[in-house]
Amino acid sequence: MRFKDQIDFVRQHIRKNKLRVFMTILAATMGTAFLIVLASVGFGIQDTIRDEMLSNRLITEIDVFSGDMDAPTIEGLKQREHVKAVVNRQSVSIRQETGMNGYIGGQSLIVTDFGEEAKVEFALKEGRLPQNEHEVVVGSHFAEGMIDPEKLDAEGEPVTYNGKLLGEEFTYKFGLYENDELFEEEIPLTIVGIAKEPSKDWVHDMKVYGDASIMPKVKQIFISNVEDAEVTDLFYSDVKMYADNLENVKSVSEAMKEDGFDVYSISDELERMDVFFLVLKAGLIFVGTIAILIASIGIFNTMTMAVTERTREIGVMKAIGASPKLIQRLFLMESAWIGIIGTFIAIVLSYGISYIANLLLPIIVASALGEEDLGSLSVTFSIIPWQLVLIASVISITVAMISGWRPARKATKIDVIQALRQEL
Amino acid sequence: MIQVQELSHSFKIGKKGKERQVPVLKGLSFSIQEGEIVSIVGRSGSGKSTLLHILAGFLKPDTGIIEIDNVRTSVFNETESAKYRLAHFGFIFQNFQLMPGLTVFENIELPLKLSGVMEKERRQKVQELLQLVGLTEVQDHYPNELSGGQQQRVSIARALITDPPIIFADEPTGSLDSETEQDILLLIQSLNRSRGITFVIITHDDTVAETAHRIYRMHDGELIEGGASHAI
Ligand SMILES: Nc1ncnc2c1ncn2[C@@H]1O[C@H](COP(=O)(O)OP(=O)(O)OP(=O)(O)O)[C@@H](O)[C@H]1O
Ligand SMILES: [Mg+2]
Repeated sequence: MRFKDQIDFVRQHIRKNKLRVFMTILAATMGTAFLIVLASVGFGIQDTIRDEMLSNRLITEIDVFSGDMDAPTIEGLKQREHVKAVVNRQSVSIRQETGMNGYIGGQSLIVTDFGEEAKVEFALKEGRLPQNEHEVVVGSHFAEGMIDPEKLDAEGEPVTYNGKLLGEEFTYKFGLYENDELFEEEIPLTIVGIAKEPSKDWVHDMKVYGDASIMPKVKQIFISNVEDAEVTDLFYSDVKMYADNLENVKSVSEAMKEDGFDVYSISDELERMDVFFLVLKAGLIFVGTIAILIASIGIFNTMTMAVTERTREIGVMKAIGASPKLIQRLFLMESAWIGIIGTFIAIVLSYGISYIANLLLPIIVASALGEEDLGSLSVTFSIIPWQLVLIASVISITVAMISGWRPARKATKIDVIQALRQEL
Repeated sequence: MIQVQELSHSFKIGKKGKERQVPVLKGLSFSIQEGEIVSIVGRSGSGKSTLLHILAGFLKPDTGIIEIDNVRTSVFNETESAKYRLAHFGFIFQNFQLMPGLTVFENIELPLKLSGVMEKERRQKVQELLQLVGLTEVQDHYPNELSGGQQQRVSIARALITDPPIIFADEPTGSLDSETEQDILLLIQSLNRSRGITFVIITHDDTVAETAHRIYRMHDGELIEGGASHAI
């Protein structure tokens, strides 16, 4: 029998018992959709937590903790295998004040190597990188930190600077936390570039980025104002290494640890989290499979009834020369068809449910918490990746075929003579 | 064409543990020639149907050999037997045994579908046979919309569709009135003449038996040749 004729044959049978087959498909659909939606919550929450963990850092980032990071050490780190960049951001660990056209602010100064920064994420929105002394780049939200000390707006909020930034000059002063007065000396700085906005829109970058050329001046002011000053206390190093890709984060970290560095990378934590979620998702899929198994009882029933009902027809088929194998295949195809249609509808349905859940649940949760600002609640409850669709389809169609197996075997065992003897 | 040697079969009857062996066929030996119409007559319960079932491969005999065109069909397994039937046998049953869910056309087409014949060729052959048995008008009807005679013509057409050399008929006119019976018997005879098909007809009706070239009588588990008959 040709495959096309086999399909026709199966479809003809299904059409004859529409309601029964429909109910069976419905059960299969519900079981499979239950599995997909249930497991999708595992995927959704994992994704949300992962996003949360990675929101402030790159996944290839490795923090290096070390008291004294001198230039040769940094250079040494850059030479290591699989290291894309080493960014050494040095911040000034004392009180700082900026001033510009009557506005004042407390933005802090970061001394960094723009060459290394550019290899990772740092980019300019406007302007250029510093080339001369006293030139700096400011963060995208720098102006928000400049406040007019004398005025308040209609709502009683401080008035912030909203004029031009590029090419403007501002003063940078600093002093000790324990003194009221700042040091007399001012460093005039010119804004030559504005950094790109951080990828997360709730992060406001108000920093001042300068290169190493500013350091001698700062140190000199510090020393001249503070008796028995330790210059090493002035700058605080924050060294971050970046592996060239995710797979190498581990090896780079391990190598660093072996050489006595104290390092931290998120990949260990992600690995632990992934294991946890793998177990969770497997558990959810297992529970969902039970729903499919329950639905399979329906398929078993339907197919058993179909075989019983068609005993005489099967007998005639065998009498005129249909092989037992063909009979078995026709019935297996019928149960597989139920499984396939049920799975297909379930997939479509699950995407719909998942979409609606992601739309409605944040609103419900927010109102339950009495929170008005929905924007800050960026939680994904349900994600259906193709792997989940594949797993669910395989489980569902396999279960459908297994439950159709016995009825199909039964059909092949039908005795021709007995079947032909049945009354019409 | 069909050679049978020492064919025996018995059934187990009764409750399990207390069952009894009832011999139905006791060492039959006979042969059927190509192009013959042979009828097998006998009292009810004499084992006629059982013999046909064994010849057709629905049932395995306890002992004995069946050879058809020098092929030993009595040793076939279920799958081989089905394959052989599809290619070499046609069947006509007393209660027609049509598929209720298929139209007249589809019923006749079914054996060709099982053989994997292409749709175009199938359609052509079915139309040919519909014409032969005079059912072109009702080809899209379902079996339960037809008279008994018409249904039997459908089953004859279905038996003919694969051009089998042998057709087995178990009480082919058992459910028909005498006029319709005559129509069907004439059809069988003309098919035998025009196509050289060998017919094995089981009946308990003498008028049916007499249309055959040769009559065998089943009696007490044995088969006795009842001489030639030339009704027409
Ligand atoms: N499956 C079976 N199990 C037990 N006994 C059987 C079975 N099939 C047939 N028999 C017995 O075998 C004998 C022959 O049956 P068979 O159907 O061959 O008779 P028949 O000659 O065709 O009768 P009829 O003319 O009524 O159709 C009967 O006694 C019957 O009871
Ligand atoms: Mg009989």
